[in-house]
Amino acid sequence: MPPVTVKIALVGNPNAGKSTLFNALSGLRQHVGNYPGVTVEMKKGRFTDRDTEFELIDLPGTYSLAPRSPDEMVAVDLLLGRRPEEPRPDVILSVVDASNLDRHLYLTTQVMELGRPVVLAVNMIDVAKAQGIVIDAQALAKETGLRVVVIQANTGAGLDELRDALRVAAGAAAPAGGPKLPDAFSDEAAALGEKLGAATPEFLTRRAILDVGGYTEQWLVGTHGPSLTATLTATRGRLAAAGCAVPGVEARARYGWVRAATARAVTKPTQRAVTWSDRIDRVLTNKVWGTLVFLVVMFLMFQAIFQIATPAKDLIDGGIDYVVGAIESHVTPGPARSLLTDGVLRGVGSVIAFLPQIMLLFAFIAILEDCGYMARAAFLMDRLMSKCGLSGKSFIPLLSSVACAVPGIMATRVIEHRRDRLATILVAPLMSCSARLPVYSLLIGAFLSSGFSRWVPGLAMFGLYMIGFTVAPLVALLLKRTLLRGAPPLFVMELPAYKRPSLYTVARRVHDSAWAFLKRAGTLILASMIIVWAFLYFPYKDAHGQRYETLIAEQKEKADEAKERIKEVTDAGRPVPDDLEQISTDAVREANRLNAEWKRGSYLGQAGRAMEPVFAPLGWDWRIGMAVLASFPAREVIVGTLGIIYEAGEVKDDEAEKTLQGAIHAEWNRDPAQGKYTIAIALSVLVFFALCCQCASTLAVIQRETRSWRWPAFTFVYMTVLAYVAAFATYQIARFITDHV
Amino acid sequence: MLLPLDMLKAGEHADVAEVTGDPGWVVRLAELGIREGCRLQVLQAGSPCLLQVANCKLCLRGSDCSQILVSPVVA
Repeated sequence: MPPVTVKIALVGNPNAGKSTLFNALSGLRQHVGNYPGVTVEMKKGRFTDRDTEFELIDLPGTYSLAPRSPDEMVAVDLLLGRRPEEPRPDVILSVVDASNLDRHLYLTTQVMELGRPVVLAVNMIDVAKAQGIVIDAQALAKETGLRVVVIQANTGAGLDELRDALRVAAGAAAPAGGPKLPDAFSDEAAALGEKLGAATPEFLTRRAILDVGGYTEQWLVGTHGPSLTATLTATRGRLAAAGCAVPGVEARARYGWVRAATARAVTKPTQRAVTWSDRIDRVLTNKVWGTLVFLVVMFLMFQAIFQIATPAKDLIDGGIDYVVGAIESHVTPGPARSLLTDGVLRGVGSVIAFLPQIMLLFAFIAILEDCGYMARAAFLMDRLMSKCGLSGKSFIPLLSSVACAVPGIMATRVIEHRRDRLATILVAPLMSCSARLPVYSLLIGAFLSSGFSRWVPGLAMFGLYMIGFTVAPLVALLLKRTLLRGAPPLFVMELPAYKRPSLYTVARRVHDSAWAFLKRAGTLILASMIIVWAFLYFPYKDAHGQRYETLIAEQKEKADEAKERIKEVTDAGRPVPDDLEQISTDAVREANRLNAEWKRGSYLGQAGRAMEPVFAPLGWDWRIGMAVLASFPAREVIVGTLGIIYEAGEVKDDEAEKTLQGAIHAEWNRDPAQGKYTIAIALSVLVFFALCCQCASTLAVIQRETRSWRWPAFTFVYMTVLAYVAAFATYQIARFITDHV
Repeated sequence: MLLPLDMLKAGEHADVAEVTGDPGWVVRLAELGIREGCRLQVLQAGSPCLLQVANCKLCLRGSDCSQILVSPVVA
């Protein structure tokens, strides 16, 4: 006989310990389910108990079943069995916090009206006990008419009993009791139900009356026509006249019932005990001390990411170099080899090298979030964020974007207001991320170091970071006043009690983010790298029909031979002949010249030259333009591309980077048109890079999080235009100053 | 005597008498436990302010707090 599958939906307030319970029940047998048209993710898990197979679905934490957005509607629809891809749950498991029973039971009373058996899991009983709260589970079961199980999800206490209760509940009747709204309301709901027809469940009919301007109302007006708005207004008017005005009527009925039910079952101390959380909060939410602690935490976080992740990044880079070297010494030159080494390994490798940083950042954020600190940070930062039309909840995503915009944008999921979330997503890429660093250090080193006071490079770097910090809030404010206009969302946030972060939750977050990142690197970035590689590789023969690769390899061989000879001679203690030195340097120079000629003639080079008029107002020649074009899929690409163009060979170590800086410096100064304005050009390139959206993974993640191509396209266009205009202004102003100083 | 919530100082206790304003907002606050008859304590005044309601801490902005009318209690 095949096991029976019982479907269970987990419902509860945020911070009721729902996820901990979900993990404790299903262990590793879980996966994330996405639903078409919405951004919410619902976890699904399975477990077997005796001969029953259970399927759990973990709905997003919510304070009530009054849907305010399409995302919340999905949860309600799923519970009512109105989603085609998801059968209706057999049992609803309502998870409540024992130390906050009154408020959490409010949601339970709504769950009781869904027409399915309900099991009440009273979680975190240890916390309640510590505060002197005593809960009599049997009395609570008698008063509420529900199956009540007292549990502690983090230790697994009471889970056996819970599994038994779930098995018994499957197939039992729906709860009969629960709060009764006044008769006047029931009559009105019945009348409206007849008008709407049998397709609308009673639960939603009642929600349409209760939630003024809520999502149910919007949805029904959309399906039944605008006349319904007038009907609902009239209904609410009659209810107000009958003395049960919406919205107060629901809260009164539900809380009244909850109070009566808990009166006999729950004993609370008269004076609320001061908890550890309270003591910690006295410091951490204090405007002065809390802000100081917050700054220290953030500093340590970025410092740790930089200190720990850099060696790991170097290790990955080194590994890639080793593999490239191995392939180059065993495979004959040609398109296939070049594609494998330059396109795939170096291209994707430069992106994968950021994996350690991303994992660490996510680990930190998961720990801070899981222990409850993030809510405090959002509380402290709300004053600052409200000035640019956002709320405290937008702060952490923007801060994370300083490391990388991809996890930063993923972290916007905690922002419940759609417009706030969108505004945060759209400005996150303006924050100076770690991929911009190589570009900054290269150009600042080349043009703003020698001949200036030693404060200038640091100040320039700081200034570039400040561009992001100042432009992002301004753009957010502009968006909130134009495209994303709307009443400022009312801001209310719960600060959960502190708890020890769960290793499982943190590990899972890190694993998921790493996996998502690798998948992107393996698909989108790989594809864009191959395209850039192809445009830089073809055509690969010179005017005489000779392959550039073969010619370059010949020169390199010549140089290597000369170096061998020099080594032999020096080992033998004889003086090195001058011509030998000359041969070696000439060969290297020739190889670099060939390389540059090849890139100049490549399709990307041709495009760069064709677009020169576009770059001219920014002070760029075709070579800078081409490097910038090539770096659109991933901004790190520019360093390598500049190295190829400016005949400095490959940029691998500090020494070579200095050579590249020197080469660029020399090249720019050699050109009479450029020579005078090198600093103006450098500044214009820097400002462009600080503001431009040159990151395919960011655009991909915006697409994924907003479920539309419109927003990534918008982000790309507005940032590119902004970068162009700012670079133009920078160049013209800097040129004016150069001419007149 | 009724006061808007944002007139209270840190450490003061009060009973909520009335929550006014947009119905959606009133419901939202009720779901979070701020409703007629509940007792709260102001932990931090200002905007955003920090409140202790039953066993949970909530933070709200000052402008939104003015829509909550309370009567102060000497705890």
